[in-house]
This record gives sequence, C-alpha cells and structure tokens, in this order.
Amino acid sequence: MEFLITILLVALVVAIAIWLFIARQGDAEFEFLVDQRTDFALEELTEKTATFSCKVPFINKGTQGGTIMDAYPRHLLPHEQFDGVEVSSRLELLSAPPRTDNYFESVIILAGEGDTVAVTVKFTAKEGSIEEALGQMAELTVDMAIDIVYQIVARTPWYIHKTRMIMKCTEIMNAMQTKSAAK
Amino acid sequence: MAELELKPVRTRILTDKDNIVDMIEKYAKDDVGPDDVVSVAESVVAITQGRITRPEDLKVCFLARILCRFIPQEGSLSSVYGMQSAMDAEGKWRILFALLIGMLAKIIGRNGVFYELAGPQAPLIDDVTGTMPPFDKCLVYGPENPKEVAEEIKKRLGCYGAVVADVNDLKRARVVGISEGLEPNNLARILIDNPFGNASQRTPIVIIKNYATAEKRAEMV
Repeated sequence: MEFLITILLVALVVAIAIWLFIARQGDAEFEFLVDQRTDFALEELTEKTATFSCKVPFINKGTQGGTIMDAYPRHLLPHEQFDGVEVSSRLELLSAPPRTDNYFESVIILAGEGDTVAVTVKFTAKEGSIEEALGQMAELTVDMAIDIVYQIVARTPWYIHKTRMIMKCTEIMNAMQTKSAAK
Repeated sequence: MAELELKPVRTRILTDKDNIVDMIEKYAKDDVGPDDVVSVAESVVAITQGRITRPEDLKVCFLARILCRFIPQEGSLSSVYGMQSAMDAEGKWRILFALLIGMLAKIIGRNGVFYELAGPQAPLIDDVTGTMPPFDKCLVYGPENPKEVAEEIKKRLGCYGAVVADVNDLKRARVVGISEGLEPNNLARILIDNPFGNASQRTPIVIIKNYATAEKRAEMV
C-alpha cells in the first residue's frame, strides 16, 4: 500500500512539475495593432475604380515563436448597407518580396518580434464613376469593417483569430481629397 | 584539369504529380556527364512521393502536446504538429522513449541522442514554412527509400553517382540516401554551403561536376 501511495505521489509531483514548466514556458501570442495603423491612402484612381491601402503593424507578444500560416482581410460591406460599389481586398507582408497572387506565405515570428502588413482595398463602381459612388457612400456615412483574419500555429494547435478595423468613409474622402490636392 | 564545380539546376515547382527521376532527367540530363554526381534535396524527393500532410489533417494526441514543449523552438518538432507527425511516422512510444533518454543524456553533456533514437524520420520532418509555396502550409516528411531513389537517378542518367541530401542554411548537411561507392561524409562537406539555395530559388537539383576526377586526384595526393 505504501509503495502504491509513493508511486501516486511521484506521478503527481511529475505532473505538477510538467504543468508548471509548460505554464512558465508560455506560447506565441499575436496581436495586430490596428490602433497603430496608418490612414488609408489613395494608391490608384480610374474612372471606375479607386484603390486604397494602409499599413498595419503586428507583434508576437508571447514568450514563444509562432507561425502565421495564413492571413487575409475580410471586408464587410453588405448591399443592404451600401450597394454602389464592389469591393476586393488583399493583404501583404511588407518584409517579404512583393507578390501579385494574393498568397500569404507562412512566416515564423519570434517572441517579442513583429512586422507590418499592407492592407489594400479596391472599390469598383457598379454604375457611374467611382468618385460619385464613394461620394454617395460618404453621404450615407457608411463605414466599412475589415477583419484581418489570421491562422496561427505554435506550441498549441492551430487557431484562427480575427482583428477588426474600420475603414471610415471620412478617411476615404480625405484620401481622395489629399490626392486631388496633390494633383 | 577539370575542377569540382557545383551547378544548381532550376526547375518548376515539383509536386506529388511528378516522378523525381523523370524530372531530374528532364531538367538536368543535358548537363550531366559520367564524372558527375547528381544531388537532390530530400524535401523535394519527399514532396514528389506525396509525403506531405496539412496540420489541419492531423489529429493531435495529448502526448504530442506535452512532448513538443521539450524541443527547442528552432526544431521542427517543437510545434505540436511537428511532434505529432514524428509520432505518426515513428510511433509515439518510441518518441517518448527517445525524448526521455535524450534528456538524461543531455544532463551528462551528450547532445543529439533524441534524434539518434527517435527513428530516421524524426530529424527529416520539415514543419510548416520549411519548404516553398504552396507547401509552406504543409509538414513534409523525409523521403521513402532514398537510397533506391539515388540508385535509380544514377542508372537513368548514367552519371558517376547520386545523392539525396538534407541541407540547410545553418551549415548542416546530411546525406539521406546515396548510390553505391560514394562517400557520404565527403558529399556532405561539398554540399555544406547549401547550393540548393532557398525555396524561392527553386533549384532542388545540384550537379556536382567532375566529382569522379576530383576524387581520384584526392586519392593520389
């Protein structure tokens, strides 16, 4: 009986020691710092389309390295809210060579380190010019939510997380005006 | 006199639809002579053999979640999926045994015992990000029958020899499979600077030109 109790006690101590080791070790913890993002700037303007982009930094604030397996923006502009434009969006890691395929190559980010992504949004007018369409969007005070969706894998099983940022209609108009003024 | 020369060969992205020997013949045949050794990256051989899996397709066991914690972060098995894939390839009790003995060995100052005992696949597994897109989102196991692959390359191309090698930018080169008569340590030394380049360079084949001549010369010296 004493032998059995000793075995159980040893097993308990080992389990607690492993649990403490894992708790102390921690894991990767990513955060997209949308409150530190740059304003959207107008990159390209045609009769029918307007393309804007902004830069969003992110950091691995955890204690272990982790991998961003995939990341992409999910813009949310339902036609019930505004039906004047079609939207497409993409995301790129700024430190990686530029890509044209909207593919996010998996990247390891060490603990305490970070990087920056560029989020690009393209509006295409369904009718008339894009300037008219975006003007209507501003009149209706329509802001567009964009979720940055990212898949992480590290010491723990993979998970998908979303961080929301808002592309305000005032920001769109400001970017348009800034570009016009610059012209 | 002909000098030893490393000649990387650029290919398209090879997939599990390809046969590695056919691809080497297609891309490298014209440059390969009877004195040359053809080397090929082990991860690309494994990809053409379909030895890849997605983390999303792996069922992670409790033991994998615990054991991955004891592998340093730089290792492919430090992620829960790297560890699970090693357990799937070599058996979870073998991995547990190897890790326990490896930890004890480390206490007495001997490193690398875990990988010696964990089975041939354990050190060859590449975690996600380990290879070029679109396989950057997959785990890649080590190749199957690498020696046979090397022999087949040698036979098909009529070269002096062939080698399947695991080389990285950290100055680590390991011969995984080699045709008869070649000296693995010598080839590992030749490949130590990773002539395969990084993933985006897409040069999974490297022809070691004039190997036989250089070998004979070295023997004479």
